[in-house]
Amino acid sequence: MTRRSLALVLALTSASAASARADVVSLRRLVTTLASERFAGRQTGTEGERLAREFLVAELKRIGAKPLPGQRDFALPFEFTAGARDAGTTLTLQTGSGKARALSFSDSGDVTGSVVFAGYGLVVPESQDFGYDSYATLDVKDKIVVVLRYFPEDADQKTRGILARYSDLRYKAMAARQHGAKAMLVVTGPRSPNAGELVPMTFDTALAGSGIVAASIDRAAGDAIFAAAGKPLVDVQQSLDSGNPHVAGFDIPTTVTVRAKVERERHTAYNIAGYLPATGRPISEKPWLALGAHYDHLGHGENGSSLASQDEAGRIHGGADDNASGDAAVLALAGILAKQPRPRHVLLAFWSGEELGLLGSAAFLAAPPVKVADVAAYLNFDMVGRMQDNKLSVQASGTSKSWDKLIEQANVKAGFNLSLQPDPYLPTDLANFNTASVPSLNFFTGAHADYHKPSDTADKIDYDDLDRIVGFAATIVRRLQDTPEPLVFAKVEPQTQGGASRAGVRVFTGTVPDYATEAKGLLLGGVVAGGPAEMAGLQKGDVIIEIAGQTIANIYDYTYALDVLKIGQPAKVVYMRGRDRKETTLTPSARK
Amino acid sequence: MRFAWLLLSFLLVPTLAADDNHERDFLSRVRRLTVEGRRAGEGYWSPDGKRLVFQSEREPGNPFYQIYTLDLTTGESKRISPGIGKTTCAFFRPRSDEIEFASTHGDAKSRQLQDEENAFRASGKERRYSWDYDPEMDIYAYSEKTGRLKQLTAARGYDAEGSYSPDGQWIAFTSMRDAYNRPLSDAEKKQLDTDPSYFAEIYIMRADGSGQRRLTNVAGYDGGPFFTHDGSRIVWRRFDVTGVLADVWTMKPDGSDQKQITDFGSMSWAPYEHPSGRYFIFASNKLGFDNFELFMVDAAGTKEPVRVTYSDGFDGLPVPSPDGRQLAWTSTRGGGSAGQLFLAQWNHEKALETLANAPLKKAAKKP
Repeated sequence: MTRRSLALVLALTSASAASARADVVSLRRLVTTLASERFAGRQTGTEGERLAREFLVAELKRIGAKPLPGQRDFALPFEFTAGARDAGTTLTLQTGSGKARALSFSDSGDVTGSVVFAGYGLVVPESQDFGYDSYATLDVKDKIVVVLRYFPEDADQKTRGILARYSDLRYKAMAARQHGAKAMLVVTGPRSPNAGELVPMTFDTALAGSGIVAASIDRAAGDAIFAAAGKPLVDVQQSLDSGNPHVAGFDIPTTVTVRAKVERERHTAYNIAGYLPATGRPISEKPWLALGAHYDHLGHGENGSSLASQDEAGRIHGGADDNASGDAAVLALAGILAKQPRPRHVLLAFWSGEELGLLGSAAFLAAPPVKVADVAAYLNFDMVGRMQDNKLSVQASGTSKSWDKLIEQANVKAGFNLSLQPDPYLPTDLANFNTASVPSLNFFTGAHADYHKPSDTADKIDYDDLDRIVGFAATIVRRLQDTPEPLVFAKVEPQTQGGASRAGVRVFTGTVPDYATEAKGLLLGGVVAGGPAEMAGLQKGDVIIEIAGQTIANIYDYTYALDVLKIGQPAKVVYMRGRDRKETTLTPSARK
Repeated sequence: MRFAWLLLSFLLVPTLAADDNHERDFLSRVRRLTVEGRRAGEGYWSPDGKRLVFQSEREPGNPFYQIYTLDLTTGESKRISPGIGKTTCAFFRPRSDEIEFASTHGDAKSRQLQDEENAFRASGKERRYSWDYDPEMDIYAYSEKTGRLKQLTAARGYDAEGSYSPDGQWIAFTSMRDAYNRPLSDAEKKQLDTDPSYFAEIYIMRADGSGQRRLTNVAGYDGGPFFTHDGSRIVWRRFDVTGVLADVWTMKPDGSDQKQITDFGSMSWAPYEHPSGRYFIFASNKLGFDNFELFMVDAAGTKEPVRVTYSDGFDGLPVPSPDGRQLAWTSTRGGGSAGQLFLAQWNHEKALETLANAPLKKAAKKP
């Protein structure tokens, strides 16, 4: 890639300014600095985040960006929950005793009441046309419901596939609350994995509790409660495990008291936002364009989404690709735009809290300093530093009918081997802009073996191609600037339905899907070291086309197929390695 | 349309991660040129190498191909066909402002056919992509200066697949008029119902449409003619009577000296000469019925063809740039089953070296 001086760029007319290239050296400096040990992995709400913020704000000022209208500062604070801790939840039974532990989303509070057993506590929405409601025949108002964890163990695959989507404990707690219960106690049945154990306090970023006291109870407590009903828990569970929707729960003639104590650590984190004002009188219709990238990462890998192997656990996750590369792209792009005529204001944002669940961008859009309806389009950059074979994914292209033409036009010049993905329901900040009906695009160079690991380092970034991506985006921005009529937002129907979440998936296969490449099947971007997939002999580049008899056409099929896998039960996997069709056996383990 | 996509049948095999391949020997910086619309293909270069003319299903309200030019400097595309009906197979006329293509817009039923196809697609039903050899298809020349269309052929039967001679004075094309200009036997009538392409033959005419003359006279689909760069020969593909096997042939522009170049025992078609005159690039399903790859073969056809692409699905309709340094072709490598235009740098030296080392041609086993 030839380097061009910015002076030359300046001399170009606006029509050809799209060919402007950011300086490769500058991109390298930005990524190397952000991914350095000094910033300690830029975990949300930490000193590392603060130092990264100071650096990014200084860069914004250098470019000539200003704080957003009405703001004095580039840093915009938002509150988040850094974690929840059980501070001594107790359970008091009429006879016998046992332990309880609050669920991470529980309210704190003392509750005493009579008990109703509500089976697996599952409610499948009517829209699913399936007919399973654990509360159908029960009156749980102002009572304490006891439910089993997970979903019926022996149900047929289809039933399991549906029920699994509604078995997330948060979803069960919501159902209990909606039926008027004042607390939910969860017991892990003797016929399930992790039988009789308390549910670990998982990382949860909710600002407040879920509006109900919710706790897991141990085997002893469960046995004592069911003794009052005169029915052994194992028999009760077995009667439900076929998945027969007509097996009802029942009242248990006893009273329990649960005192839930949850302490949430509230912290403050900061988005960074500024803007390059329009150079003249701004275009009246939707006078803003927005560019953004998250700048937080995983710190030392404390919060559970690290994929570090055992021997690298606890080390700094520098996040050079994820997402220092995106930050550098936004800054480089801003540098180009700062020297061009701007019919629209350009909002520049660096989000925090992305890795914890897109928290920063959600907070920004919940109380936006700039009217969201005034934003003509949003471009997001998340992991743009690891291009392979000239392949670039442009995602969320379904958010406006006009994107394809703009992308085609810009790419004739940029020359990427593009993969277009219309779906905007992405695990990055763009998802929040889609919800806010802003036409958006995400740029992504694909998952890789260093994803969410300490080995995602600055020396592995491809700066020449990162520079080309900046040029490509600059052409698209130029075109958006030159078009007075804003793009029309198009709603893309989500491809998944129901209360599905990763928390509802209890099996662990150790596969790392490659989200960037469209493949017929599930293309593996990697496997987790020591995980079931690696033990089954699967490796990066394999394409899973069938698992446990379910054919896999895409990532959604795979997600559903995971629901029907059973922990510890070997499942046949058919996959393609190059041109060879191969088979292996994968034994899923339990996700705690 | 220079190819019977109808034959692209059956399920696509699972798309694999490209295996460790030799595609990079010949093609570098592979890039996707078209994005807008359901599918696009058949990109042919302007003589100055600065533009392509191609067909794409992107006209709002019209589910069929229309013809567009694409400026490779600005990325701007522009429709040059009427917007109504079906079109295919455009080609820049050298030393002129004209572009020829085939179109059905003269058919009074055009809008009705568009509506029917739109309704079918809206119903959510899927069918295999197929090309219907619309007998209303005629060849036109569009003037970029005046925006006017001139009709060049009017015969009943599919007239399409036109391309100019290097001096811009002649057009070689494909016509199925032989199925309509004489009484057919019962067997031929049945043939016309099931596969009209059987009647396709190569014709030539002057660039103004005069002097239309038939060049081939062999049963089975003769189609996709292009002049060689020195104008001395025409290269085309000849199908056998079953419509399953095809090979690359060349002949003089008067139809004499017809020579078979490949004997590859597969469907080998869409041949186009490299500007060096040293070899042809073409598509073949040698490696699997629905897995078309690009191959090349020396101009005299003395060697075994050499494989160029290594990507599952469809790679076809290769067209080298006038300077011979780039290759435009149609591929499904972007995902899905619909093709789009791709462009790559072409390593001519490596191609020559590999062809020189290719083994001598062995005759394909005759069934």
